[in-house]
Amino acid sequence: MLEVKNLHKVYDGHGRRVTAVGDLTFSVPEGQFACVVGPSGCGKTTLLRVLAGLLPATSGEVRVQDAPVTAPPPGLAVVFQEYGRSLFPWLRVRENVELPLKAQGMARAERRKLAADALAAVALSDADSAYPWQLSGGMQQRVAIARAIAFQPKVLLMDEPFAAVDAQTRADLEDLVRSVWQRLGVTLLFVTHDIDEAVYLGQRVIVLSASPTTVAEDLTVDLPADRDQLTTRSDPRFTELRSQVYARIRKVKAPASEGAPA
Amino acid sequence: MRILWRILLAIGLPVVLVAGWWFDSAGSEDFYQPALSTIVDAFGRTWTWEMFQEQVFPSLWRLLAGYFLAVLLGVALGALIGLSRSSRQVLEPVLEFLRAFPPPVLVPIAILLAGIGDRTKILVIVFGCVWPVLLNTIEGVRARDEVLSDTCRTYRITGLLRLRHLVLRAASPQIVTGARQALPLAIILMVISEMMAANEGLGFTVLQFQRGFQIPEMWSGVLLLGLIGIVLSLLFRLAERSLLGWYHGQRAGQREF
Repeated sequence: MLEVKNLHKVYDGHGRRVTAVGDLTFSVPEGQFACVVGPSGCGKTTLLRVLAGLLPATSGEVRVQDAPVTAPPPGLAVVFQEYGRSLFPWLRVRENVELPLKAQGMARAERRKLAADALAAVALSDADSAYPWQLSGGMQQRVAIARAIAFQPKVLLMDEPFAAVDAQTRADLEDLVRSVWQRLGVTLLFVTHDIDEAVYLGQRVIVLSASPTTVAEDLTVDLPADRDQLTTRSDPRFTELRSQVYARIRKVKAPASEGAPA
Repeated sequence: MRILWRILLAIGLPVVLVAGWWFDSAGSEDFYQPALSTIVDAFGRTWTWEMFQEQVFPSLWRLLAGYFLAVLLGVALGALIGLSRSSRQVLEPVLEFLRAFPPPVLVPIAILLAGIGDRTKILVIVFGCVWPVLLNTIEGVRARDEVLSDTCRTYRITGLLRLRHLVLRAASPQIVTGARQALPLAIILMVISEMMAANEGLGFTVLQFQRGFQIPEMWSGVLLLGLIGIVLSLLFRLAERSLLGWYHGQRAGQREF
């Protein structure tokens, strides 16, 4: 469960104040798959970093699992956009997945099993003793997803995780995330700038306005739960929803000023 | 085949230079610059197993003890300073001041305080070698990746695990650079400290030969020092390869894409 109430974030530095998030309020119920889209520079990443407890809010409140966030909350995992920089290059794939469990003081055998299961879930069992830099970009991001799975979070945040992979890999990873979410039953907040991706993945799409950010539109995606790259994307309802989101984003983008950090 | 070619490239120039020295100095009548053949001859006679035990091993022991202490101290202090802004503000002026001393100037002081035993020489080596390790470690620790730091924070990787996996491993390419710069310094300081105050050791022995006009023997000692330098830097490379395999692999990968 995620709650954001009147979140406001101002970056203050070098004599320049930049409002990254204006006034944001929404909540994501337990187990929901919510996508956040918005024009570039609308503070999506800022929102995610505040939710993850990596960045303090200027004002307003953020709660994860009913506890106010002041530091990285327990039971929350993040998959970052920069997979190449979020994996430890000096650790093998399996060790990367196991490290957060080791930090919890989990016994070796249990760690091994969770890591093996998580790597199997992302179809990377064969690569467990490779180093991350020996893998392709899409595979590296799958390792990062496996690490999040093994961590057994209640809430999973993903920050444009597929922005840097090719289209084919991207489609595969989207389906992977859907299946992981269905299996784990986590609350998932997925930040993206890709409208099609948001509609295809989520049960709900939250459209943010340009900076100073507010919720411009909150849309329920009433597509069937079983989604498929071919049939879902050619579903008339899918087209309708994506046009709706697209129109909304064009509208919020138009009068906005540029220059806020992403 | 490629390995053979690389070895040939690596040793080609040294072989040419040594051959040049050999033929140029052949039949030399100059007392102070004897023929290389005379020096090699003296080398065999001078550096016996006994000599190694009495003169070379004590030097090497001080060299390695001083060097490893310096690396340890440099990494520990560097991690502390790189991690904490306040410790950097407190320690940096003092360190800048200490760094300005040429290490050999410490020898007379150290002799007064610690005598002419091993402790003095190890101290001098540590004092000279710690700086490149320290400064590089600070830079490496400060430059750790933000995304990786965030990853550690969200996954609650803290304490020793964080120190080992985020701070030190991430800085290890820079730490190794510092350690590589410190290695020749350690040899230089070992020799200097032994020339100034010792009754044994390589530096002392070379100086004794010179004072006793045993010129070929003196040259052979210089040659031995050079060989020790080469062997140590080869050992260093082996250690680096196993420690930084991930780093070179990653960089090679980046060049490919």
